[in-house]
Amino acid sequence: MGKKSLIYIVLIALSFFYIFPIYTLLNTSLKMDEDLKYGPVAPTHRIYLGAYTHAFHCIKKQLVNSVIITVFATIISSILGSMSGYIFSKLRFNGDRITFLVLVLGFYIAPQSILIPLVIFMGKVGLFNTYFGLILTHVAYGMPITTLLFRNYYEGLPQELVDSSWVDGCNTFQTYTKVFLPLSLPGFAVVAIFQFTNIWNEFLFGLTLTRGVSSQPVTVAVANLKGTTVAAWNMICAGAAITTIPVVLIYIFLLKMIIKGLLMGSVKG
Amino acid sequence: MVVKNNLPSIVFIAPAIILVAIFVYIFSGWSAWTSLTDWRIIGRMGKFIGVQNYIRLFANDDIFRKCLYNTAKLIVIFIGVTIPLGIICAIFLDLGVKGKGFFRAIYLIPLSFSFVASATMWGWMFLPDKGSINTLLRMLSLGFLTQPWITSTKQSIISVAIVYVWQFSGFATLVYYAGISSVDPDIVDAARVDGANTFQQYLRVVLPLQKPATFTVLLILLMYSLRVFDLVWLLTGGGPAFSSEVLATYMYRVTFNQNLFAYGASISFVMFVLSFVVIIIPVLIGTLKSRG
Repeated sequence: MGKKSLIYIVLIALSFFYIFPIYTLLNTSLKMDEDLKYGPVAPTHRIYLGAYTHAFHCIKKQLVNSVIITVFATIISSILGSMSGYIFSKLRFNGDRITFLVLVLGFYIAPQSILIPLVIFMGKVGLFNTYFGLILTHVAYGMPITTLLFRNYYEGLPQELVDSSWVDGCNTFQTYTKVFLPLSLPGFAVVAIFQFTNIWNEFLFGLTLTRGVSSQPVTVAVANLKGTTVAAWNMICAGAAITTIPVVLIYIFLLKMIIKGLLMGSVKG
Repeated sequence: MVVKNNLPSIVFIAPAIILVAIFVYIFSGWSAWTSLTDWRIIGRMGKFIGVQNYIRLFANDDIFRKCLYNTAKLIVIFIGVTIPLGIICAIFLDLGVKGKGFFRAIYLIPLSFSFVASATMWGWMFLPDKGSINTLLRMLSLGFLTQPWITSTKQSIISVAIVYVWQFSGFATLVYYAGISSVDPDIVDAARVDGANTFQQYLRVVLPLQKPATFTVLLILLMYSLRVFDLVWLLTGGGPAFSSEVLATYMYRVTFNQNLFAYGASISFVMFVLSFVVIIIPVLIGTLKSRG
């Protein structure tokens, strides 16, 4: 046996570890109730989408909520992150480094450390159980990472761009909108994908800042599927699959940008 | 040329700074203050009781001590498996066979799953009687290897760690692969000329250069394992018998199920201190070092 085939055997064996749970999920989600008794491993002998329609019916309101919350929070946090990342990359002011550091370190502080004041605050200002409350929360906690990602992105653009537009008479705002924004599209793509997937998947804020279905995100709805029905595993798996498929597709089709975001956000501190 | 122009810069960074100042730092401080009170009813202020909540936590609360132990155990198992696995995957991808992009994509897919989805899926995998893992083992005539998984007090935290490894080892692979493939080929060639085989080349030349990658991976894995909530809450619920209860799930239970806000805040402050010591201080040291 050649060295090459040995490498492939290892790579495929590792793939099995990553794929098998996903296979189980999809396989179960496509079963009819009475086929569940054949177990999750053997391929289902008839494909049935009823579990999907049932699950979709249970979580459709929350799907809409999640789309609204995630889209707005992604757009706002990307724009604000681009603005602050641009300043931290291209302009110097007194205390810029320490400000940047303190801002970015916010990324490492666990959400539990601020959870109690957050819930009280949202209640006091009337944003508990609203879209805007969740959007604001996701934007605020997105600032460290979006600032860091954009700072690192703009580090790749030459300082001369600022200097020459300055010579042309542009102020900071014009330099940003006329020179940097048009060059920012790849940066926006990376940051927006990063934010979208994280906010879409978020659970704890959704759980603590909502009550009832009016602004509840879909992650909470899927978690609740387990409680509502006794072991309707096909429906539970279908619900999990519905929420996961969009993100998996983003990962597969935009893998390069995902990888860029993961490396850009983590390698440089 | 360094541009000095204070006013517009401040306008640009103001939203980010104000949001983080309020939502991260002021709220952390508020939470820390709350932990020094006996507050438990919404609408009424608690009164200052000093560090009594902390005394109760560390001296009288067996579940809290269990949480510290379980969190530490999870971190050790999770990181102890994920880093070697990430290095192995990265090396095998680096060996230069066709389709490495395909395999790298497969290893990364679990990272796209929400913890809600992975808890659902793995909850189904781990069921002792009908779950996929034990069913597969029985189908392969390996029935003697079946495990009680999440239903056992001995294996519940291991089960959580397995899911975390599944979810994050692709990330470790990605960072190590980026580090390994950026090693100067001349250095590796020099080792080969000196008679080192492939294994020795990696062990003696490539891996010692992966300290920055290890630092990055370690920080992110520590961050996610200290704050683990969703997965434990939905996979095991902290059970059976608190055998998989971690700091974050206990904090949630105390705060939102038992309405002991101040006591919950003291647990969250312990989490804050832990993340400060194991994550933020290393980041600060790393940043200072890289600036020389």
